[in-house]
Amino acid sequence: MSVIQVKNVNLTYRVLKNRTGSIKELFRDAVKGRVRVLDYVALEDISFSVDKGEVVAILGRNGAGKSTLLKILAGVLPPTKGSCNVEGKIAPMIELGAGFHHEMTGNENVLFYSALMGRDTNHVKNRTQAIGDWAGVSDHMDFPLRTFSSGMIARLAFATATDEQAEVLLVDEVLSVGDADFQKKSRARMNEMINGGAAVVLVSHDMNAVKTLATRAVWLENGRVKMIGNPAEVVAAYEAN
Amino acid sequence: MKYAQLIRLLVNRELTLRYKRSVLGIGWTLLNPMLTSFVLWVVFSFVFASRLPGTQQYAPYLMAGILLITFFSQGVTISAESIANNGPVLTKIYVPPQVFPISTALAGLVNFFIGMIPLAFVCFISGQQLAWTLPLVLIVGLCLALLTAGIGLTLSILYIRFDDMRNIVNVLLMILMYFTPIFYPISILSPNLQKIIQLNPLTSYLDIFRWAFSNNASVTLGDWIFMFTTSLVSISIGTFVFKKYWPRTVAML
Repeated sequence: MSVIQVKNVNLTYRVLKNRTGSIKELFRDAVKGRVRVLDYVALEDISFSVDKGEVVAILGRNGAGKSTLLKILAGVLPPTKGSCNVEGKIAPMIELGAGFHHEMTGNENVLFYSALMGRDTNHVKNRTQAIGDWAGVSDHMDFPLRTFSSGMIARLAFATATDEQAEVLLVDEVLSVGDADFQKKSRARMNEMINGGAAVVLVSHDMNAVKTLATRAVWLENGRVKMIGNPAEVVAAYEAN
Repeated sequence: MKYAQLIRLLVNRELTLRYKRSVLGIGWTLLNPMLTSFVLWVVFSFVFASRLPGTQQYAPYLMAGILLITFFSQGVTISAESIANNGPVLTKIYVPPQVFPISTALAGLVNFFIGMIPLAFVCFISGQQLAWTLPLVLIVGLCLALLTAGIGLTLSILYIRFDDMRNIVNVLLMILMYFTPIFYPISILSPNLQKIIQLNPLTSYLDIFRWAFSNNASVTLGDWIFMFTTSLVSISIGTFVFKKYWPRTVAML
């Protein structure tokens, strides 16, 4: 049973040619008849599926559409055409700590971030201490986040995001959080979640990580799927390109 | 509802964060309308106080106006900005984006109710009693929250699309403020001007609020109808516009 089902997804951004950022400019251009809408195709005819326990890596150059694809999987961007079905709880590990606020304490941030991910905060309340311990910031949890170092924030975010088993993990280059010790710990936890039956979509430029972690790889180029299959083969073809 | 907990956290954050680094903390919510009203009272009471009809008192009249317009204009500006400000979250985690403007409107509602404590105090000082119609202020608050949320939802889309929108909105809000009888009695205006002021829905909200709170204004059935229709129309337009344009707008965040 596939957890993620992407079928013929297209995504087109509508861009105004003279990038009118204000009503004043739009009015000026409309009067002169200079408003032109361009369609920028970010993704075209993308189809693939991810099963339980599978790790799919997405490769491609900058601007190939990897992040756009992750946004569609996260349900943030609706596709222009096609359909994207994701079943179960999603743990979006994309720029972790996006919902963090610097004036709120560590505890409050953990609660808030969990609520953003749609978790039951009554349950999370009993977990904040454990999350802080795991991230190694337990003695800071009652202080505002602005007193944290950036590494501490990243660790806390990772700990919060992975505290509950999710059915779907969307990962955007977050395997390199914190120092060497914490990286080992976070990798172990990722493996735990994968073994717990999560379907993983991973965007990475780290080819070694792709080869060791992924069970399948998708190579995107200019918004289209160039190759899909065994990670070793796809990585080899991608690097030869 | 799955996101009720999130809305509660957001409302809480909205209420406490603004005064997080101050000594008085949430006490400012009580003090702020009192101080503003006091300044305006000192300035305007000589001019306008004697022009109010019957047993109406100027101090609670003024303060009710300040409370209501603060709720409205702060609610509209903050909720309109809330989507753009939370863009980093909204492009990474799926959350119904409407929770942000709605939480802002709700936080404004809470502030509005807190502000009624000093208002009651001012009523007693100026020799008025709270009216038996007091519970009706709940309805005024709810209608105003709907009005605010509706306008905020519509504007939040425009704020993302156009950079100069917030300047335009600020000017419009200021004009609207002068077209609402906050610190002047409506009776001092010429009949034609009075008609224009009556077209402003906030005039009806404000009159109903003053009347319900301490019988400090007169209200017609038309005011009630105007209040209900504008709040419902506003929230319907807001949700419709938002639903329609959000998919295209989110790509711009």
